[in-house]
Amino acid sequence: MNKKHIFVRPKRRFFEGSFFGHEKDLMKRIVLLVLGGLLIACSSEDDPTSPNESSIGAAVNFDRSSMLAHWADAIIQPGYADFLSQLQTLEARATQFTETPSDANLTALQSQWENAYTVWQKISMFEIGPAEAINYRLNINIYPSNTDLILRNIQEGSYNLNLSSNRVAKGFPALDYLLFGLAETKNETLAFYSGSQGIAYGNYLLALIADMKALTETVKMGWESGYRDTFVANDGNSATASVDRLVNDFIFYFEKHLRAGKMGIPAGVFSGAVMKQNIEALYHGNYSKHLFLTGLIAVQDFFNGKGYGDAPDGQSLATYITALNAVKEGADLSLLINTQFDQAKTRVATLASFKEELQQQPPIEFLEAYDTVQRLVPLLKVDMVSAMSITIDFVDADGD
Amino acid sequence: MVVVNTPETYSFERDGNSTVSFSGQTTRIQMANEIINRMKDFSATETILLNMFSNENSSFSNEDLNSSSKNVKSKTAASKDFFESNAAGSAAVRADFEGWLTAQVNETFPAQNTVASAGVAGQIADGSSTRYVSAKGLEYNQAFNKSLIGALMVDQILNNYISTGVLYAGSNKENNNNGVVADSKEYTNMEHKWDEAYGYLYGTSADKANPNETIGSDDSFLNKYLGKVDADSDFSGMAQTIFDAFALGRAAIVAKDYTLRDAQTAILRENISQVVAVRAVYYLQQGKNALATETPDYGAAFHDLSEGYGFIYSLQFTRKPGTNSPYFSRAEVLSFLDQITTGNGFWEVSPTTLETISTEIASRFNFTVAEAKD
Repeated sequence: MNKKHIFVRPKRRFFEGSFFGHEKDLMKRIVLLVLGGLLIACSSEDDPTSPNESSIGAAVNFDRSSMLAHWADAIIQPGYADFLSQLQTLEARATQFTETPSDANLTALQSQWENAYTVWQKISMFEIGPAEAINYRLNINIYPSNTDLILRNIQEGSYNLNLSSNRVAKGFPALDYLLFGLAETKNETLAFYSGSQGIAYGNYLLALIADMKALTETVKMGWESGYRDTFVANDGNSATASVDRLVNDFIFYFEKHLRAGKMGIPAGVFSGAVMKQNIEALYHGNYSKHLFLTGLIAVQDFFNGKGYGDAPDGQSLATYITALNAVKEGADLSLLINTQFDQAKTRVATLASFKEELQQQPPIEFLEAYDTVQRLVPLLKVDMVSAMSITIDFVDADGD
Repeated sequence: MVVVNTPETYSFERDGNSTVSFSGQTTRIQMANEIINRMKDFSATETILLNMFSNENSSFSNEDLNSSSKNVKSKTAASKDFFESNAAGSAAVRADFEGWLTAQVNETFPAQNTVASAGVAGQIADGSSTRYVSAKGLEYNQAFNKSLIGALMVDQILNNYISTGVLYAGSNKENNNNGVVADSKEYTNMEHKWDEAYGYLYGTSADKANPNETIGSDDSFLNKYLGKVDADSDFSGMAQTIFDAFALGRAAIVAKDYTLRDAQTAILRENISQVVAVRAVYYLQQGKNALATETPDYGAAFHDLSEGYGFIYSLQFTRKPGTNSPYFSRAEVLSFLDQITTGNGFWEVSPTTLETISTEIASRFNFTVAEAKD
């Protein structure tokens, strides 16, 4: 309730180029915020996000190019490298397990599935360039999976994992079913891999992991063999510029995949009906919250330009907002956004497992936690992009 | 600036084709009508009523409704302004509606042939009619019906479709400024959003472009009660005021005059909120009068108070112009409802309580209890 909304975007023109004319600055792209002719229109009930008064008349310098280089070199590419190495370990554990389907090997494989799934949450948001070209996210993590199709593929032994119709039978959700969902107990699960159909089950497991690895190699190679430079060089401020596009992808991920996919849809926020079967990592049973929080923290880290792993921190959406002096109701916008991220993390962390929370009718605790996540949407999708003069390129259709 | 006049009818065209469309709203009003009728059918089960609310398992008699992708539940307490960041509140409201559906089957239906008395559900005479009430005297079908006016129609109109958050969503403003229509449609998104608001009031009108001809007789929801309020000489002209605001707001969107459009939003918020408030006070007063006689007419009183219960509930979805708040918060509304349903409920509610609540409601609006009471 009481959501603020900007409905007239201030007229701003961005200039790019070697503004100061120094030879050594030629390569440095300066974004100049021209405030002459700034027009903010609002009704009495709206509080526009706007540069504060002290910045009026001052040029705002923000180096979009260096932010893009930081995103590419210190966040996105190290993320893909880490994820690929997780998948390599996963493949090794799966090979070990299929050769010797023991309790210990199953445990080791399950645990590496957890590790790899966790790292996936840190890179899923970057659906741009090589990832976008192959629909990376939809190939790795569509849930709920179709267990009938998984079993049919295993029985038939021939399947083409490149078919889009098989997306619901592969990736992490299919592995979730094969490692945690075949039976109630570990011994019963082991029986699937050591019984008469054992080789078929094992082969499918390995095929799924090989598919995820191949897709990831494609994406990683795409960045290394050209896309990184294209991405960084496209440092303008049009709808097709890298910043505008990745910000859109980032917000789309946050709204549709993190907020809605992992919480809103299972909780029935949109349909009114709780859909317990739609949680991520359904068969594991106690991992959805961890995956969600990992994703939320990754989004906040990206917002703040935190380097992946040991990589250095750098320019970010937060420093961009600060350079623009964006304020909302007198408060620093990047601080407001970080405060809301912190509140969301804290509130979600207090929940029991998603599976347990969704047993409640209605799941009020879960919905209240969802609301703290939802409050980030207007901050990012309206206030932040308005300050940056970025246009949102996707709309919500309510179906009427 | 071009002067924009108030159109006499709600018809708008682009290149000779109508740009007005609100079939989804018409569908939901029809669904809601079927639900409240089915609540009075003793053969209905809890599953059937719940399925009708969410449109599952082909539970409507009208096949077009069964095959529709729409449902009432997902738009109940679902406005952008009030519920987008309040999913918990939305779920609580939907649980109230499902609670009334369930209670109708589990409490009222089994007592079909029991005479109602204080603390006992059953039937009670209201003139030539027979009402079926809970142990507290509440008709759950009335609670559902009148509460839905707020939670569906009023909330969707005032807090969603005529709200800047929806009208300016995405590139709506830019597209409307440049006459860019929605994919394979005749209308811009902004025009369409405004029409959807209109549809929640006039979606089942006989003449949808000129709906005041039959105002009050086109549904059992907002249209019906706008008609009733308009028929009270203290509020005559309200139907015209509301229609004019819808028509002028739509014309303003066509003319890209958003200041004028937002002025109509304010008029709609004030007047449609007032329709709810006037009816809440009206029924509280009717109930009070029926109880105040030497031999209280409980049947008539309970029927009035059951309707009043729903209109009070609906107050939480009203919208004070110039604010992001309803005229009465959910907490205030629930407190009013607690006061009239405490103990044996309508069997023992005092005239003072009914009068106090009436006065509190009227005092936040531009009308008096005396104006609303008849």
